[in-house]
Amino acid sequence: MRRTQGAAYLFLSPWIIGATLLTVGPMAASLYLSLTDYDLFDPPKWVGLDNYLVMFTRDDRFWAAVSTTARYVLLSVPLKLVLALAVALLLNRPRRGGGLYRSAFYAPSLLGASVSLALVWRAMFASGGTVDRLLAAVGIDTGGWVDQPQYALFALVALAAWQFGAPMVIFLAGLKQIPRELYEAAAIDGASPVRRLVSVTLPMLSPVILFNLVLETIHAFQAFTGAFVVSGGRGGPSDSTLLYTLYLYQRGFTDFRMGYASAMAWVLLVVVAGVTVLLFRGARGWVFYAGEER
Amino acid sequence: MLERLSRGRVMALAVAAVVAATTVTACGGDAGGPTTLRFVWWGNEDRANATKAAVAEFEKRHPEIKVETEYGAYDAYFQKLSTQVAGGAGPDLMQLDRATVGEYQHRHVLADLTGTSLHLDKIDTNLLAGGRVDGGQYAVPAGRTTQMLVFDPARFAAAGVAVPTKAGESWNWSQFTDAITKVGASGVAGSTDFGWAIDWFEVWLHQHGKSLYDGGKLGFDANDLQAFWTVTGSLRDRKGVTAATATTKMDGSTQNSALVGKQSASEINYDSSLTGYLSSYGGQLAAAPLPSDGKDTGMAAMPPVSYAVSQRSSHKDAAVRLLDFLVNDPAAGKILGATRGVPPNQDIRDQVCGSATGADKAVCDYETAQRDKVGPAFGAWPTGSAAIKRDFQRTYDDVIFGRIGPADGAKRVVQNAQNSLS
Repeated sequence: MRRTQGAAYLFLSPWIIGATLLTVGPMAASLYLSLTDYDLFDPPKWVGLDNYLVMFTRDDRFWAAVSTTARYVLLSVPLKLVLALAVALLLNRPRRGGGLYRSAFYAPSLLGASVSLALVWRAMFASGGTVDRLLAAVGIDTGGWVDQPQYALFALVALAAWQFGAPMVIFLAGLKQIPRELYEAAAIDGASPVRRLVSVTLPMLSPVILFNLVLETIHAFQAFTGAFVVSGGRGGPSDSTLLYTLYLYQRGFTDFRMGYASAMAWVLLVVVAGVTVLLFRGARGWVFYAGEER
Repeated sequence: MLERLSRGRVMALAVAAVVAATTVTACGGDAGGPTTLRFVWWGNEDRANATKAAVAEFEKRHPEIKVETEYGAYDAYFQKLSTQVAGGAGPDLMQLDRATVGEYQHRHVLADLTGTSLHLDKIDTNLLAGGRVDGGQYAVPAGRTTQMLVFDPARFAAAGVAVPTKAGESWNWSQFTDAITKVGASGVAGSTDFGWAIDWFEVWLHQHGKSLYDGGKLGFDANDLQAFWTVTGSLRDRKGVTAATATTKMDGSTQNSALVGKQSASEINYDSSLTGYLSSYGGQLAAAPLPSDGKDTGMAAMPPVSYAVSQRSSHKDAAVRLLDFLVNDPAAGKILGATRGVPPNQDIRDQVCGSATGADKAVCDYETAQRDKVGPAFGAWPTGSAAIKRDFQRTYDDVIFGRIGPADGAKRVVQNAQNSLS
């Protein structure tokens, strides 16, 4: 047995080395830094829990960022999942050129993380941009979303929702797994298409929905690129696009408060872990696993 | 420990060893050869082209030194630079602004340039003051600039308003606000709302006999700022200055400028950016002095940006030579022109301005015309001023979008500033 283990560890070594040096090491360092006052240039000074105390009790922008991020997650995740599921249902029907449509709808997700796309987004939603002019043409005068505090976050939500490709592909795979007999039986019983969706498709798809929900929620909490590029790194106008990660970045790299930024990163980790646990707890009520007794 | 190995296991081990080895050798060694410097700055295309040409000239004269240049937009310049410096991968020579010179010096990032081969005797002493801390010279002015109102003469003429541009001409605040309100009535806002930048508030303070900083302390109180923001507020109501949606984008760069975006007919900025405005506006532009009611115009000669050498650079001598070349060499001066304001070296300034054409000439002409109105430099900004500058603009955003009144906004800025300075 030992002989095979040697080879196994040798094979694993690139991953082990990578995980230790690039993930576990930096995480431990960040936990230490979160308890210090560190300005990037001079050696860190130990301050205990001060960073956390200031964050929770005296930092208005921290709470503003928390509430902006909460709104972003609550808006973008459901919108993205509904879009992904709707398109997946459309694409699930056999038709000519189905593969082409799948690729076309997936493409935005490949481009989504890129900076150039966020720049296009900023230009589209700026005052006098494409969206502004289209809306004005039909009589809705908003005057550019990204330049107004009450609308700017919606531009980011739209950017996120548009990148529904990844959950869509997973939904499609899930839809293909649902046995055809269930639909045939339902059709024979006279169930309408809506009824079939609600009583067959959604329950059978619920584990996949949960998977996508958890994944997309975690992603949404970590959203950064869109907000950074659209607001030019400032989180404006008037802090309306100051997502948590953007504020964290500002604290660390613009204000040189890397200790504080590390503390924020750990709070984010704990919150995301907590939200994930809650999602799994809540899932017991609505997720149906095939072969499970109810 | 020798064991009988099967063919398959040997192959498996070999593959794994190769993979492991490549991950280790990826960290390569250091090669010898000529000295390589890294030089970074931010700015427009015209500045980049001129700087690269000047660097090429330097390399031609010093074949033993190779210079890698890097430049980008102002947006993320300092975040990137700070990260590189903190990670030990900082550049040898860097361009800094007023707020960051103090910040970096305080954090021991910059090398003291006194006693090096650098010549400073021809550079204006009051410009050098911005880089002097505790008797050491940590930054050198890359040029000289002063505040201006850059405006579209066609729009002002169409509204029937005269703008003072010649030497000896000036205007007071009521003439200025009348002018921009009249222009505003004809469609596009008369001027970009100038309440966003602490730089223009600084001028306003000097006109009222105060200053932004008094040593390491604040030189103004909430009432001063409230008064300033009340002026811009009433202009905004009358379309004299831009609406909030245009003002919020301002960062001093030409690509985010409301004037260049055709949302206003004029804008306050430093004359070092006049070349950038002229190349990106697509129309005629001219420069006028800022309005003032008293004798003190509040305008000052100051370095638009400075050069500094990294304390951690392993080629400080070569970096100092490049710096010396950029500010003191006639050939470099000619190539660089007025892309960082007019040259800081008096002899070269006279030379460059004597034969300047196009955009460079516009900067030189403005500097010459305003010579009598421009006071000495305001002096270095203390540590914490970068954060104060950002908080100033952020709070003004809240004011223009109606989320907070000018009085409460001013109080918040003062309070946060006191925290940043302590």
